[in-house]
Amino acid sequence: MDISGADIIRAVSLLGAGVAMGFGAIGPGIGEGYAAGRACEAIGRNPREAGLLTRTMLVGQAVSESTGIYALVVALLLIFVV
Amino acid sequence: MEDLTTISQWVFTLGGYKIALNSVTLINTWMIMGVLVIFSLLATRRTKLVPNPLQSLAELLITTFDDLVRDALELDDRRYFPLICGMFMFLFLCNVWGIIPTFEEPTKDLNTPLGLGILGFVISHYSGIKFKGLKGYLRVYFEPIPFMFPLNIVSELSRVVSISFRLYGNIMGGAIIIIVVSNLVYSLVLPPFLNVFFGLFVGTIQAFVFTMLTLVYISTQIK
Amino acid sequence: MALEVQILVKGAAYLGAGVAIGLGAIGAGVGEGYTAGFANRAISMKPEKAGDVLKNMLIGQALAESAAIFALVIAMLLVLMEFQANAITAVALAAAGICMGFGALGPGIGAGFPAGRACEGISRQPATSSSLSNTMLVGSAVCQTSAIYSMVVALMLMFFDYSTRAFNPNAAALFAAGLSTGLAAIGSGIGEGLTAGGAMQTIARQPTSVGRATASMLIGQAVAETPAIFGLLISMILLFRVYPGAESVITAAALLGAGLSMGLGGIGPGIGSGAAGEYALNWLGRNEEIGGLLTRTMLVGQAVSQSTSIYAMVIALVLIFVV
Repeated sequence: MDISGADIIRAVSLLGAGVAMGFGAIGPGIGEGYAAGRACEAIGRNPREAGLLTRTMLVGQAVSESTGIYALVVALLLIFVV
Repeated sequence: MEDLTTISQWVFTLGGYKIALNSVTLINTWMIMGVLVIFSLLATRRTKLVPNPLQSLAELLITTFDDLVRDALELDDRRYFPLICGMFMFLFLCNVWGIIPTFEEPTKDLNTPLGLGILGFVISHYSGIKFKGLKGYLRVYFEPIPFMFPLNIVSELSRVVSISFRLYGNIMGGAIIIIVVSNLVYSLVLPPFLNVFFGLFVGTIQAFVFTMLTLVYISTQIK
Repeated sequence: MALEVQILVKGAAYLGAGVAIGLGAIGAGVGEGYTAGFANRAISMKPEKAGDVLKNMLIGQALAESAAIFALVIAMLLVLMEFQANAITAVALAAAGICMGFGALGPGIGAGFPAGRACEGISRQPATSSSLSNTMLVGSAVCQTSAIYSMVVALMLMFFDYSTRAFNPNAAALFAAGLSTGLAAIGSGIGEGLTAGGAMQTIARQPTSVGRATASMLIGQAVAETPAIFGLLISMILLFRVYPGAESVITAAALLGAGLSMGLGGIGPGIGSGAAGEYALNWLGRNEEIGGLLTRTMLVGQAVSQSTSIYAMVIALVLIFVV
């Protein structure tokens, strides 16, 4: 079995795609959950502002999710472009 | 073991298109719908002030979900109530359907949860446009900064995938575990116990989670 | 040559056994220690309730240990049983050990949270000790489901016959199947434990909220379970698909990548959803009228925090089916 250099690059880029998305999902996952938890706490303290707090939570989560989406984009690039 | 992942299908061609119907899923879905219709007819026939068991079950379901929908949406009318209550009843029966021997859960086929997920997605976005107007609806996608637009679209679409794969995975995972365990250990106690755990316990919770998430998605769109 | 393969299989089985119980013991150790710490604090606050706290601590620790016992069972089977002598079986056995080892880590740690919080709660509100114990039992038992998924995948890796499959991509598929379920179970196990711990705090603070807290806890745990379910799904696909033999390493690398993506990608969302559940449940007891609102906010937050595990699953599916 002889493996050419192009094969190795393709193989490593696919493996890299998996690793990128895998590690990239850890941070946003914990962070967004923490944001949701703190939002629940804030609603517990002040239920009247629930709408505002939920919106703020969703915006904060969207921002912290962006790194996860970067990982997704990089993984897709590694799969389809490299 | 290998037949676990295959779905029995009727395949026929119609005007050049190949059409596949998942026969087992379809038959079981129609049976469940029949059971629900019969239940509703029996429960609402001859309603009395002192209810019979069937009527009190229906009343319990309706008051519970009426409170939930009212609490979440804060609307004056009950326009989303039939959808939410019906969805829960249907999904609950679907998830526990496998407890009866020879019957199969329709939710074990990805098409059922995916269809319901897309239904909830379309309804919630339609409600968003109807309640906030097209401009107010679209503005949400450019918050907090316009740059976030593609990210917001992706996260919106990922909701459909997550809601349907969550249900499908739980029911399918339960089914696989029951089959694997009953193949490996020849026990009379463990498989029925697992059947009850994954059927009744997980099935009820997942039906409720699916329904609540649909309700919550509608409520975030209309507020 | 036949002898060498036999040695390889034996070696893989022993390696798998070591990894299974080695990693599996971490979780139980942390969880039980956490419980014991809280129990000590509880006893120092209310020495007259030492008996109740001790009983509760022992029940909680026994539950936290069950994940490690699953790992022990897998390790014993790997050591004691005879397996077929071929290279792909060796890979499957190593994967089974790794799957069970990682899979027992999270649930072991997670089950410590409700047990510890229950001990603390008993010293605060001795009257609630029975409802605390009961809810702790349910919460800790639900924590173990992701360990059960890992055990099922490990058993499938050990006992099904893979010898007819070509080694090159299929061995990678089996290894990736083990990684996917095992790693993804870490997050869900810890997350479900966090949620159950929040429920304990709320019951100790507001004994009338037992029913509501238990219901919300079960919902929160069911959602925190999702990343482990995704990991199980990817594992099942990897186990059931048979690949034709290949010359190059591209398919094998893609399959390994799929397993790593889903496995690692499940850790964060699992812990995060659990944290959301913990705070929501913790505040449910302080302000019972808004229980529905808190549960709904928790559900939205959890669903959003799981979107990254969806991305990981999408990448895994692309790597399996498209490449």
